[in-house]
Amino acid sequence: MQSQDNTMTDPSNETKQAEKAKQKATDPAIEAGLERLTPERIKKTINQVLEKETGPRFKAYVETCMRCGLCAEACSYFLSNDRDPRFMPAAKVKNTIWEMLVKKGEVSRDFLREAVRISHLECNVCKRCAMYCPFGIDIAYMMLLVRRICHKLEITPQYIQDTVNSHSVTLNQMWVKDDEWIDTLQWQEEDAREEFEDLQIPLDKMGADIMYSVIAPEPKFQAGLIYQTAAMMHAAGIDWTMPSTPGWDNSNMAMYTGDNEISGRIAKAFFETAAKLRVKRIVMGECGHAFRSVYDMGNRWNSWVMPPFEVVHALAFYHELLTEGRITIAEKYKKKVTLHDPCNVSRGRGLHDKAREVVNMVCEDFVDMVPNREHNFCCGAGGGVINCGPPYKGERMVNNRNKAEQLAATGAEVLIAPCHNCHSGLEDIIQHYDLKMEIKFLGDLMYETMEKKIYKPGA
Amino acid sequence: MNRKMEEKRSWDWHTELTEIAFEEWKTRFNWVQAPRVSMDGERIAAVVNLDEMAFTVCVNGDVWEGEYEKVWSLTPVSENGFAAFAARDEEWTMNVNGTEWSNWCDFIWNMMVSPDGTRLGAAFQTDSEYGVIVDDVPWEDRYENMTGAVMAPDGTSAAVVQVESMAAADVDAFKKGVFCVARNGKAMDRRFLNIWDISFDADARNIACGVRTDRETYGIVQNNSVWDNRFESVWKPAFLDADTLLAPVRSGGKWHLYKNDAPFWANAYDQLWHLTISPDGSQVAAIVSSPFGRWTVAVNDRVWQQSWDTMVADIHFSADGSCLAAVYKHKEFWDLAVDETPWHMAADMVFVPRISKDGSVVAVVVEKQGQYQLVVNKRVVASGYRFMAEPVISPDGTKVMLKGIENGIYKRKIIGL
Repeated sequence: MQSQDNTMTDPSNETKQAEKAKQKATDPAIEAGLERLTPERIKKTINQVLEKETGPRFKAYVETCMRCGLCAEACSYFLSNDRDPRFMPAAKVKNTIWEMLVKKGEVSRDFLREAVRISHLECNVCKRCAMYCPFGIDIAYMMLLVRRICHKLEITPQYIQDTVNSHSVTLNQMWVKDDEWIDTLQWQEEDAREEFEDLQIPLDKMGADIMYSVIAPEPKFQAGLIYQTAAMMHAAGIDWTMPSTPGWDNSNMAMYTGDNEISGRIAKAFFETAAKLRVKRIVMGECGHAFRSVYDMGNRWNSWVMPPFEVVHALAFYHELLTEGRITIAEKYKKKVTLHDPCNVSRGRGLHDKAREVVNMVCEDFVDMVPNREHNFCCGAGGGVINCGPPYKGERMVNNRNKAEQLAATGAEVLIAPCHNCHSGLEDIIQHYDLKMEIKFLGDLMYETMEKKIYKPGA
Repeated sequence: MNRKMEEKRSWDWHTELTEIAFEEWKTRFNWVQAPRVSMDGERIAAVVNLDEMAFTVCVNGDVWEGEYEKVWSLTPVSENGFAAFAARDEEWTMNVNGTEWSNWCDFIWNMMVSPDGTRLGAAFQTDSEYGVIVDDVPWEDRYENMTGAVMAPDGTSAAVVQVESMAAADVDAFKKGVFCVARNGKAMDRRFLNIWDISFDADARNIACGVRTDRETYGIVQNNSVWDNRFESVWKPAFLDADTLLAPVRSGGKWHLYKNDAPFWANAYDQLWHLTISPDGSQVAAIVSSPFGRWTVAVNDRVWQQSWDTMVADIHFSADGSCLAAVYKHKEFWDLAVDETPWHMAADMVFVPRISKDGSVVAVVVEKQGQYQLVVNKRVVASGYRFMAEPVISPDGTKVMLKGIENGIYKRKIIGL
């Protein structure tokens, strides 16, 4: 539903509802955590982080910001909330880490409650604002610093904290047990044999060319995605494997709560699984934040400047399969599609042009959304925001109005979202704003349009 | 002389070449999965498909009697044989050399084989309860959740188990600690938020692990005690002897090596993990990073001169502790360094090296452009194979056993050095 001035109207007047909800919403984990805090602990923790865990980068950012406000236009929250200055990225810094710094850690519980909200729920750490800052100040880094303090003060929102707890125990984000993981792979293998009778999902194959890794929602809820990839791997004649052991999940919500120690543990398990299997490279499914974890953050906590194995995101892998002729398209997809560029693989890795090439090889009718590529707006779910759970869905939808407008303007029937968090968040937006769009992973379309035949070199 | 060494002496080190037509199996079965080779190289095996949902294991051309809906985790074990997990009527068991264990369960995984191949263990689940089974004897106590199962050479087993239920997203319950170590199925007293990396000493009398005691505090558990010192993080501890425990711990943003709850090595590192102790206990080595982003090896806190930009994957001592080999990656290529000396192989992959008891012979399989090679003391002794299992060095160090597939034929080749 769209008004004449191209501004989305909220179909259920949810702005007011969300405001109301926000006023009374209490997150038990945050509230219980705040209750436990003493002024001494607050001060000590903040100062420990600021003094021991920051360096010239933080100092430069603090000293350089001119409060020019150019970052405001970059922020979906600012645009979705009628340009409310409270949502300017510079204001988010002012109202969180800046105050902590100025007051030398002497901040109140009420201040911290707001700091949790700003850093966890009103910023996707998408880094779009950094592109619009004349000095390139990385405000996402500052918000992650606030989250780090929240982590140490034990006031992280409940649902995302539970996700991190799962990571810490199982090394996957959804409490998937070891046997459930393997059983799911074998079940998908069995199903896929109805299509390719000798298809295998090789487990723990030493020396395979590729280790394929996914995030936990796939075995938990979306096992069909594993099926589709297995079909592609098989058809393309790829020498691949999947690990039966923990280390198979490349997601990392600890990275987004500031639990750097668990984040590093996850990344260690991931790369050491690849090393144990002696694979040449890692291909990962359509997930953005997981790519950030293994390409940028989790690896570096462990002293790996760059990932020790080449990590190929699904977008780049599909491109490789198609351009090398390992997979051919039987008939292009007919419906009008648009593409959402996930922040972490577009702004973070520059895969947007490859993604477009794949979409054009697979689909007949592609329309870009505006802005696009590295300038694309975040889905509004990323950076751990959607992982803060159902209590915050209402306000997330309000904060995603700008994204809904961007999607609606494309007139596309199908939205391609090659990232799990983006996919879930955009699905919510489509439903909430009644956008009449289908949403798909790029792998869905690859699988749907590909020739179901086995690649023969030179044929 | 240990059993492993005795066994190796009894193997055939005289027949220069034994061949088995492996690729030919593909004409007999619908499909043949990845090959595995027995410890002594006399047998090659693979999971094979007979029909829809009908699998078995083929060893040197002969199939196991049983047919199963699924078979996986085919692994070489002692007696020159193989074990695998097998399912029939949606129930699983271990099959060793064609003989099923008496115990069946809803799922079985994490094959654990003692170094001499005589003891076999696995994790299992029945009716949503979890435990470990060793040599067909399952734990009596079962748990609602279990991770990190391990087995000592003598068959002692342990795992991290959940001893109190948690509702979904119950972060308060988690904060109180619901996990403890179960040893041979019996849960120990102490509960923690997290427990990782259970380690045994040589006789499996002592046990250690890394734990998290609150949101940001980590510790090391030695039997029933937690070290007094607390840390920012910890990695897998290792026993130097029954009374001495070493552990990499993080403090002040750097990694240190501690011994029995006190600083051991003087140097701090940007990373320090994979403690590896020479069999005689005289040398302690670890993979370290220093400065940030550079990887190398430290032995008794002395850092190798060479360092690499990507990774050191694993390190291995000879039995006498005189030789240490490291598999590393540098500038996109894999390589091996032996006692600080790089071999400069620039391989696409380097597998686990084998080292003679006295450290004089190092043999390793490498892959280059899709072909496997066997390299011994820097010299390529065989190449052009499409697959190779890890080689074996004869007990007297004068011969190397190659186990590989060339032109569709499995070859067990004894190569004099």
